[in-house]
Amino acid sequence: MATDTRVILICSGKGGVGKTTLTANLGISLARQGLSTAVLDADFGLRNLDLLLGLENRIVYTAQEVLEEECRLDQALVKHKQESNLSLLPAGNPRMLDWLKPDDMQRIVDMLKEQFKYVLIDCPAGVEDGFKNAMAASQEAIVVTNPEVSAVRDADRVIGLLNTNAIKPVQLVLNRVRPKMMANQEMLSIDDVTDILALPLLGLVLEDEEVIVSTNRGEPLTLNSVNSPAAKCYLNIAKRLQGEDIPLIDPLEESSGFGAKFRRLMQTKIF
Amino acid sequence: MYLKNELEKIKSVNLEIDCKNLDLSCTNLLELIDIANEYNCKIISFCSSSSNTIVSSQSLGYMSHFIIENRSKNKFKIHDNTLIFPKTHFHQGTVRSGEYLYIPGNLLILGDVNPGAFVSAEENIIIWGRLLGIAHAGSKGNSQAKISALQLRPVQIRIADKVARGPKEKPQLGLAEQARIHSEEIIISPLDSI
Repeated sequence: MATDTRVILICSGKGGVGKTTLTANLGISLARQGLSTAVLDADFGLRNLDLLLGLENRIVYTAQEVLEEECRLDQALVKHKQESNLSLLPAGNPRMLDWLKPDDMQRIVDMLKEQFKYVLIDCPAGVEDGFKNAMAASQEAIVVTNPEVSAVRDADRVIGLLNTNAIKPVQLVLNRVRPKMMANQEMLSIDDVTDILALPLLGLVLEDEEVIVSTNRGEPLTLNSVNSPAAKCYLNIAKRLQGEDIPLIDPLEESSGFGAKFRRLMQTKIF
Repeated sequence: MYLKNELEKIKSVNLEIDCKNLDLSCTNLLELIDIANEYNCKIISFCSSSSNTIVSSQSLGYMSHFIIENRSKNKFKIHDNTLIFPKTHFHQGTVRSGEYLYIPGNLLILGDVNPGAFVSAEENIIIWGRLLGIAHAGSKGNSQAKISALQLRPVQIRIADKVARGPKEKPQLGLAEQARIHSEEIIISPLDSI
């Protein structure tokens, strides 16, 4: 039923913190659990979501044609090659920025709500029109940030804006966590971040080189490399989003525990 | 709906909106502004007998008029410049980055002032929480004004026309501090009495 659909905005303020990667991986994880999920790329100026999902060459129609009623919604939706529960609504032409209004976004999301249980909106960076339009159509939000001062400062601004626009619940995902740096106090600790932002922590994602590889290949981590550290984090986030109570990894344990030491020993090259 | 009907009759006009005693948030006021804009009307001020509405409209940058109804049901409209407010404003909740508060009178905040936030009061500022952003007390020139917080580690602190950077050292747990002007400089000392 349309009223049961969860429309979640994935935003951050700062660019490059991992919104699109989270949207792609979360989409795959939810779809894999049997939930019909739509991901919407709301960044019309610099669109990336189709690249990350490897669906760039399958795009025929975009959100623009849907709004101009040149095509039906299901003609524009691109189903994922391997996860059929996941569909992408590609971003339109950058010229759309000139005329797109919050009402247009609301129209698209209303159409998506009829067919899907989850609608994930990949928000553009910044707090300008793109963000405002995307926010107008959302019910909940996930704020993505890095344990780094400028990212946290920008996230704080965004949370303030989400609060004055009555978006709730708002949850936090801490991305690109490097346990070793946290242990050496070279990176902000989780408490440092949650103290300022005062949001419940939906999950944290460890820094993982595999993310770069997966982006270049157009295959999100949670699709094929489920054992990489970041993929496990994304999977946990998907489960927590549905209410499962999974304890958070303690990054300090990750870097110093016996298990971690053993793993590192096994990975060291001897010759 | 009522507003839309009225506005249809008087397009392209400057408006002052009387909010009576409704408590309106910034979001509510922005909705009113949007409706007015649709009819080419520009809102130049809000008036209300609710201080919450006045605070919202001030934080959006609009002129505000406080209405007091006295016993004989005569209404006095008090103009922005001489706004007689309850002497101390109470703000509940954290002031986040990018948020600006300009208050006549004293300001009491129950919550933190995050880095990137700016709070300003004509009299004293008391923060029952952490001051990590910028606070300006005595904004109209009162150099007797003081700023107190449970944890005083601001980006910048201003009293009247003096400016100072916040201390670099980590704060002592449980030590509330106060900033005031002494011999033409801003000094920070433990809070002995408010």
